[in-house]
Amino acid sequence: MLKFIVKRLLSMIPLLLIVSVVVFLILHLGPNDPAMSYLRLSNIPPTDEALANARAELGLNRPLVVQYFEWLSHALRLDFGISFTTKAPVTKHLLHYLPNTLYLAGVSMLITIVFSLPLGIMAAKYKGRWPDHFSRVLAYIGVSTPSFWLAFIMIIVFGVKLGWLPTMGMGGLRHVIMPAVSVALMSTCINMRLIRGNMLEQMHSRHILYARLRGVKESYITRSHVLKNSLIPVVTALGMHVGEVLGGAVVAEVIFAWPGVGRYAVAAINNRDFPVMQCFILMMTVIFVLCNLFTDILYAALDPRIRLEEASSNG
Amino acid sequence: MKQLLCVLLSAMFLGVCGPAAAVDYSPHDTVVYSHMTNVGPLNPHMYSPSQMFAQEMVYDPLVKLQEDGGIGPGLAERWSISEDGLTYVFFLRKDVTFTDGQAFNADAVVKNFRTIMNNESRHNWMGIIDKIDRFEAVSPFEFKLVLKSPYYPCLEDLSLPRPFRMLSPASFPEDGDTSKGIKAPVGTGPWKLVKTELGEYDLFERNENYWGGKPNPANVLVKVIPDPVSRAIAFESKEIDFIYGEGQINFDAFDRLRKTPGVEAKISGPMGTMAVALNSAVGPTKELAVRQALQYVTDKGSIVRGITLNTHPQADTYFSPIVPYCDLKLEPYPFDLNRAADILDKAGWKIPQGKKFREKDGQPLAIDFCFVGNNAAHKSIAEVMQAQAAAAGIKLNLLGEEADSFYSRQKGGDFGMILSPTWGPPFEPHAMVSSMLLPSHADYMAQIGLPMKAEIDAKIHEVMSAVDKKERERLYREILTTLHEQAVYLPIFYSVFFEVYRPDHLKNVGFGAGGTDIPFEKITIE
Repeated sequence: MLKFIVKRLLSMIPLLLIVSVVVFLILHLGPNDPAMSYLRLSNIPPTDEALANARAELGLNRPLVVQYFEWLSHALRLDFGISFTTKAPVTKHLLHYLPNTLYLAGVSMLITIVFSLPLGIMAAKYKGRWPDHFSRVLAYIGVSTPSFWLAFIMIIVFGVKLGWLPTMGMGGLRHVIMPAVSVALMSTCINMRLIRGNMLEQMHSRHILYARLRGVKESYITRSHVLKNSLIPVVTALGMHVGEVLGGAVVAEVIFAWPGVGRYAVAAINNRDFPVMQCFILMMTVIFVLCNLFTDILYAALDPRIRLEEASSNG
Repeated sequence: MKQLLCVLLSAMFLGVCGPAAAVDYSPHDTVVYSHMTNVGPLNPHMYSPSQMFAQEMVYDPLVKLQEDGGIGPGLAERWSISEDGLTYVFFLRKDVTFTDGQAFNADAVVKNFRTIMNNESRHNWMGIIDKIDRFEAVSPFEFKLVLKSPYYPCLEDLSLPRPFRMLSPASFPEDGDTSKGIKAPVGTGPWKLVKTELGEYDLFERNENYWGGKPNPANVLVKVIPDPVSRAIAFESKEIDFIYGEGQINFDAFDRLRKTPGVEAKISGPMGTMAVALNSAVGPTKELAVRQALQYVTDKGSIVRGITLNTHPQADTYFSPIVPYCDLKLEPYPFDLNRAADILDKAGWKIPQGKKFREKDGQPLAIDFCFVGNNAAHKSIAEVMQAQAAAAGIKLNLLGEEADSFYSRQKGGDFGMILSPTWGPPFEPHAMVSSMLLPSHADYMAQIGLPMKAEIDAKIHEVMSAVDKKERERLYREILTTLHEQAVYLPIFYSVFFEVYRPDHLKNVGFGAGGTDIPFEKITIE
């Protein structure tokens, strides 16, 4: 298992290098001039002299390859430069906001797991009866509802009309409920239907039939044979939901004034704040790759066949 | 395994990154306002990311802009100007201390002026920078400023929110150069910045010893809310008490709030002009006839009704008549399609048989109209104007681009028409008119094709150094009349500030004198 993890970690290096080249080139070869952005965001009139000074200050007048390697060497030391907008080190601010986004994403993932599991199991167990119909309707609504729309509806109902929950900012647990639900709804519904489908497939497999014939208790069969085997594809799906949740968090952070990294990145994109955009894209790549790695480890832990396959291929 | 999964995820996300505590404040003595970003480091001598309204809260100028547009006492209780307009002596208040206990005196003023002038290239957008010859402390409470040549808006420039604001001498860095940063944001203003939580809020506490009288509320809490829709909702759910400014909420949100019982929604007087600059150097707008026709085809009333929901007054002149020197009774260009058609016909721009748009010598009457594409209000204005121009056979090609491309076009004069809002008080008219001399500004590029541009520029130089008020009135009249007659600007509406609050919670809420001054100190909390 350790070899497996090390191998996967090493495979991140070329991937991140490729991403870094693409990010650098897209932002530098695009129609935008970083020097112009820098002057605009610093409230300096963009005279020819000021533009030349800004290019020299930002090192934009050197060959692109030199610029890339210098940027990369700083990036490897987690130095992504100074934000054009805030004039503060990018890494410092991103690391300040990142825990808030992870907190929101974490609660959203928990909501996804806690609600999708029982609802999916009930829908499968009572197929064709009201729990199944209920889950179908819920899934239909959930996947068709844009998260920003749900966010505003919840704000109007629970924040403005009923006054139960705060509509903005970060604080206690009450602050996270609406943003997390708006982010989690779609993943919850997708996961719920996935669990239902997997469980039904497992329920009709032969080993379940034989277990029943052996007289094994129904609750034991559901828990240890059906659910456990159904969870394997769900874990893969959860890994992908991390991406959905982090993407959804960007929207929720803007609407709920949540001080997260997504909101910081949206402002940077609007302002063409190049250092922040570069750092954000690379950081999100690392998070995605790490989540995929985490999913694979869980996958191996859940399914002995994968562990054994890995061990035999290494041995 | 399910439990394992839950525990792992919970530990990873919740254990590691718990929620921050919400800010603790008393609603009975705190005004809760919101802004799109944190207020920044609040360096009084520098620009972004320090926010101007917060610089106004913490730092005082020598002289202050008054509500009538005039200049009144600030840290200087009075001043004298020599007859030649070159020497200004400011008599400073003797009862002022910085909020860190440091004394305010002429030496502190000299120290602030010195660091500002050491970084003069950063501030050369202001006319006064080029004019300052020397300055000195004549006595502990007398500060003398000598100019190289007369410059009438000297006091106006000194009243601007930055850079001529007074920082405590103890907050200067060791080398005295504040352009690289300051030790702490300490001024003599009505408020002290006491806490900043990045991305969440900034907390100000009143200056108990403020020379202008103790502010009424004990604190001002500025929450960070970037989105205007979220801000309106935050007001409705009582997360914030007060909305103030331009662009803080959308037109429709303001319209909804002003119809909400128990909510007071006020509109300020003109705070600038939403205008379009027409390029007199390139394309069809080189011709006066085309520029005039564009004035007549624009139905400003429908833009005001349809886009601003009647919240903004229609603009007939580039500067509002309430701006000093600008009540010139100029003849407005009314909405008149027939007149526009007549002017274009006479100029040779005719609609060929079976075609929709006018042509002259085989060239279509098509004009590039540039604006920042992600600004919803600007986009709507451009779309309405496109439809209105089409009715007279003028084709407007809308170029909604991101900000950098927009400013590149503005700088290079690569536009036919460009949305170019004015800066509002305290920058009008003098700073705006001065900027007409700078090639990086839309005004300069729009005017450069005028046959009398050199004459206009000469008059701008002349008016800035005119000591006699009557002479200034004459010169401003000539400059602004020429620009109006040459139809270089198409003013649409005067921008305004919105102010929204609940009168059962806040009282004595008014508008500040300038565009950046929010009079928190006068507000009382019920």
